[in-house]
This record gives sequence, C-alpha cells and structure tokens, in this order.
Amino acid sequence: MAIVLFGCSDTAKKSAFEGDMIKHATAPVGTIPSESIYMLRDTFSTQDNQQVALTHFTGKPTVLGMIFTNCNYACPRLTADIKSIKEKLGENGEDVNYVLVTFDTERDTPAQLKKYAESIDLDKNWTLLHGNEESVRTLSVLLNLQFEKDAEGNFSHSNLISVLDKEGILKFQKEGLEANHEMTITTIKEIINK
Amino acid sequence: MKRGILFILITVFSGGIFAQGKTVIPDKKMVTVAAGSYNPFFITKSDQPIKVKAVKMDETAVTNVEFLEFVKANPQWQRSKVNRLFADASYLKHWESDLVIGKKNENIYHSPVVQVSWFAAQAYARWKNKRLPTIAEWELAAKAPPKNIKYTSLTEYILGWYKKPNLPVLPNVKSTYQNQYGLYDMHGLVWEWTFNFNSFISNGDSRGNTQEEIKAFCAAGSVNVSDRDDYAGYLRFSYRGSLKGNFCIANLGFRCATDI
Repeated sequence: MAIVLFGCSDTAKKSAFEGDMIKHATAPVGTIPSESIYMLRDTFSTQDNQQVALTHFTGKPTVLGMIFTNCNYACPRLTADIKSIKEKLGENGEDVNYVLVTFDTERDTPAQLKKYAESIDLDKNWTLLHGNEESVRTLSVLLNLQFEKDAEGNFSHSNLISVLDKEGILKFQKEGLEANHEMTITTIKEIINK
Repeated sequence: MKRGILFILITVFSGGIFAQGKTVIPDKKMVTVAAGSYNPFFITKSDQPIKVKAVKMDETAVTNVEFLEFVKANPQWQRSKVNRLFADASYLKHWESDLVIGKKNENIYHSPVVQVSWFAAQAYARWKNKRLPTIAEWELAAKAPPKNIKYTSLTEYILGWYKKPNLPVLPNVKSTYQNQYGLYDMHGLVWEWTFNFNSFISNGDSRGNTQEEIKAFCAAGSVNVSDRDDYAGYLRFSYRGSLKGNFCIANLGFRCATDI
C-alpha cells in the first residue's frame, strides 16, 4: 500500500488503517464518512484470492457476519439466517453485498472459503473474507462483537448480523440465531431506496 | 491580540518541534515473561488451559510523555483530530491541548497515559513495532509475585487497590511494586488494555443458560468458572467485558509487548 505519511520516522510501522486515516484526511477524492466501518482500510483476501479493502463494498448495503468454517453449531445457522434474509428481500436481494469474515485466520484460507461457499451454494453476491489476526480483531472491535480462540483452535463468538449502509456506516445489528429479522430487512430496504 | 497569537504560535512550536529535539526519551526497557499456561476465568467444558509462549513486555505502562511523542508524529491521533469511531470524547481530556500535557500536569508526565482508546493503544504499539499483549499473556505476567514489597496474598493486595477510589493525581510509573519478571505496577496503578479484550463473555449470572443466550453465543452453553476464589480475576474479566474499543477511561492505560 503506497501511503504518504507525515512525521514518519524510520522506526515507524503503520497499520493500514492508521495510514489510510491520514490519506483520507488529505485526499478529497472518494472520501468516506468518518463514522464508516470502511475507515478500517486493512486488506482482506476473498474466496477467489482477490485482495480487497472493505471499501470494495461501497455503493450497496452490506449484510455482514463473522464465522469460521469448522464451526458445527452456530455458524451454519448464522449463514442460513443471512440466506433467508436474502430470500425475503426478493428482487432487492440482488442489490446487497453478503459478506462473511472468518475468525479462523489459520485454517480458513481463501481456498477453504471457496470450498465452503461452493458446498453451501453461495452465489455471486456473497464474499467470504480472510484477513490477518489484527485486521479481524479490529473489525470485531468496531462491530462490538466478542470472540475468542480456544486451545483446540475453535472459536467462541457472538452471533451477530450487521447491516452497513452504502458507505459502510453501521445501521443495524441483530444478535442471536434464528432471530426475527423483520427490522434487518426493513433497514436494508430503506438503505436501497435512499 | 496579535501578541497573543504570536505567543500561542511560539508555545505551539516550542511544544511541537523544539521540544522534540530536547526531550530525549530512552527506549523503554522490556523484560521477558516466561512461557506458561493460563486458565481463563470462564472456561468451557472442552477448554484446556491456554498455552502461552514467552513474550517480552514493557517494564512499565506507557507514560504521558511517551504518548506525546506518538501524537506529535501521528497528527491523526491528536485530540482535536481523532476520529470518534476510534476514540470517544474523553480521549486525552486531561491534557492541556493537542500537543501540550500542561504545566499544571507536570506531576503526571511520567504517570501512565490514561483516557486512551484501544484503537489508540493499538496504533501506538504498531508505531513502536510492538503490539498489545493478549489477555493470556497479560494475566500470566500479572500473576507473578511481587519482589520488593511485603504482602500476604496478591489477591488481597489487588482487591485492596480495587476498593480504593481513584487518586486525584495518578502516581508515576514504578510507584507500586515490581514483580519477579521485573514488571512494574501490574496491579495497583491502572487497568490495562489487552489485544483481545473483546473476548467471549458470558452474560452475568445466568452464564448463558437461557435458550436466548445459548443462541447468541457459540459454545456458551457450557461455561464454568475456573477458579471461584479469584474474585480479582473475575472483576478484570467483567471490566474488560464492559469496554468498547473507543472508550477512553480515567484509570485505563496500556503497555506493549513483542514476540521473542
């Protein structure tokens, strides 16, 4: 990432989000609102091994969940919940990004995410993201989502579905599995029609 | 009026540039914390103790003068410029201005910097080519017995501190005790941010027993308490669970770590 830094010393190593905050403070083009989750400018890999920043999802509302593919209990249900949100949106369902970010930075490689996506028939509107440990943790902190790795390499985590608007501002969150997603759907429709 | 502006400019410049040359802050001493294992306060049935690798940790919390160097070099972390997503309105509120800790605050120059968010602590650590310690690393390091004070039980010592109200002026680093690793003030001065402070937390007394909570948390159905006597550990666990990444709190600071 080529970033111009102020007061940069030899020892300074900037995280992507820190560096880009400067970039946005100085670059008038393509500005992102300061309260946007997309201010986190770390790079993630998609299931097709593309390198993307979260700004990749600008322009459409985004439904975002955090999961890991070795999860037997909660994550398949969370994914199913997002699928059912898509179905209930009808035609509008095509105007939305569906994003799953994995907690499992070790095992969930882009290739594994690809396999997972195919095994449960996720279509082109879905993006599965793999990031480094710090990026994933930072995203979880921004979303107020708790997670922890256990000694066996599995994860305890909140089951949280987040809705971001076209610019990445957090608009709505619903916790729990098989929850009532009426408000989630209303929020997404409002964003689309705005 | 012009004079006033000139005075402000001089103050800003002397604080912002000239002082940078004068104040030489030596590299912070780091000490090694030996490898070990850590039992999280709340554990699930399948959990084994977490193995923790040896790590280097700052011997004290990051101080106000040290943090000042960071905000000078990284303007986006100055109080008036910081993004609210990354630090709430209390961020560095105790400083006189963006680049001035303040004459009246002279006695806290070498006290731990507080009212800094997790994001700010993370950014500082990265700038230093370091990172924040994980909960397991921090807890393992903090469990080590004091070596330069008299005490009967570390838990009693910690609870004694937790009970005391915040002091009007936060004492300097190294003002409490040093533990066997050589770390200062692991308890007794400020609470400290950890990398994964937002780890899994069970909701209060019900401990995930209700159907709703089992659904809200993967693996939440089988949570147990690992050490019922460690009330101080419980308090830290709950405290961390109450934090959000942009919170800036008067008794919450941080120290950095690195891999070995």
